[in-house]
Amino acid sequence: MTKAKQAQNPRSSKGQMRVIEAVMASLIVVSAVAFLYAFAATPSSQPQETSELEKIGHNVLHDIDEQGLLTRFVYRSEWADMTSALVVSLPTNVYFNLTVYNVNGNPINHPLMQYGNQQIFDSSKAVASVSYIVPGYQTTYSPRVLVLKLVRG
Amino acid sequence: MRTARERKGQFIIIAALLLSIMIIAISTVIYGTVTYYRQERWEEYVTIVDSIKTASCNLLQVGLANYTQTLNQSVLRDYFNLWMRDVRKAYPGFGVDLSYSLASGIRSAYGVNINYNLGLNRTWNQQVSFSASDATVNIDIASVGLTGYNFSSHVFLKMNIRDAKWYYKAAQASDRYVLIYVSVDKEGPEPVINLQKSNFVPVKLDGVPQPFSMKRYYESKTYGCFIYEIRINSVATQPTSAEVTLQDTRGIKSVSYTTDVLMSE
Repeated sequence: MTKAKQAQNPRSSKGQMRVIEAVMASLIVVSAVAFLYAFAATPSSQPQETSELEKIGHNVLHDIDEQGLLTRFVYRSEWADMTSALVVSLPTNVYFNLTVYNVNGNPINHPLMQYGNQQIFDSSKAVASVSYIVPGYQTTYSPRVLVLKLVRG
Repeated sequence: MRTARERKGQFIIIAALLLSIMIIAISTVIYGTVTYYRQERWEEYVTIVDSIKTASCNLLQVGLANYTQTLNQSVLRDYFNLWMRDVRKAYPGFGVDLSYSLASGIRSAYGVNINYNLGLNRTWNQQVSFSASDATVNIDIASVGLTGYNFSSHVFLKMNIRDAKWYYKAAQASDRYVLIYVSVDKEGPEPVINLQKSNFVPVKLDGVPQPFSMKRYYESKTYGCFIYEIRINSVATQPTSAEVTLQDTRGIKSVSYTTDVLMSE
């Protein structure tokens, strides 16, 4: 189209500009959305498996404690009974490792309390960890922190 | 006319820019809101609160057991002060803050009036004797914005000498005996049914420790509760008093005493 023709028809150039403006505006909006999409990484929630195991672990320790057995096992060093109680209370396909610490985070000297091979813990992608604190036994205040690690076999 | 058109065109661009800014701003807020739940370790917080709550209740038991055995009135306060410090150490990085208040004054519970001093009370040497502790604990977890979660907890042990009877009809003095019927309750109220003979030491008649045997059963006719029947053989003369000391499996002690030893055929 010649300049002479454009001068004759000013609406034609106005229409073209509108299209260009609309395209630019669309590009801006699309860029904004693309920007958001690129940065909006969905936060990884805790895996369902780990969360479930944590609940199981906490409930089992709580139940043993309610029966008055947990403090007895810990403070009278009845480690074999402690292991047996956990084996009986946990589902059969759940393996565990229990470590007892004092309140400063130093492990208490006790035999290995574990059900399942170490390999299972090393290879598992979902290891749940539960911390459970007991303040003392009978008349004596001496807090202990039990850390129970759980994996599903 | 031309100038007006140019302005109109700029307006569309500016509007698009503003719209983009709005989309980004609103999306950021919405994103933060809807993903907040997933970013927090809620399960862990719940288990920590529950664990501290259970342990604080157990601390009351330990404190009461110590008090009933040593009569140290300030033991519960001392234990709670240590507990506040140690809980922070046990859960580093969570901002766990514990505070407490110990019961004070007279409170009514389980059919008795309990006069607390520093969260502790023992009312012994009566037919119905008891030991009790009571405290309110407040938990704050700064890292999750949890404040003001509080709970009251109490520990209670009551022993009741339902009857003490001297059976005197036997011809031989050595065949005469005393039966003491005792019921034991703890907080709830809940009957305590797992006690052994070793939990009732000593049993005294007229202030003198006696050898005894013990049976336990549910008695439905007279008392309507779980009963520990303590039998003391070879009691030739009618005793003027009977005293039973109880230490339950938690280490909490209570002493009941009666001067009402009835003669029975």
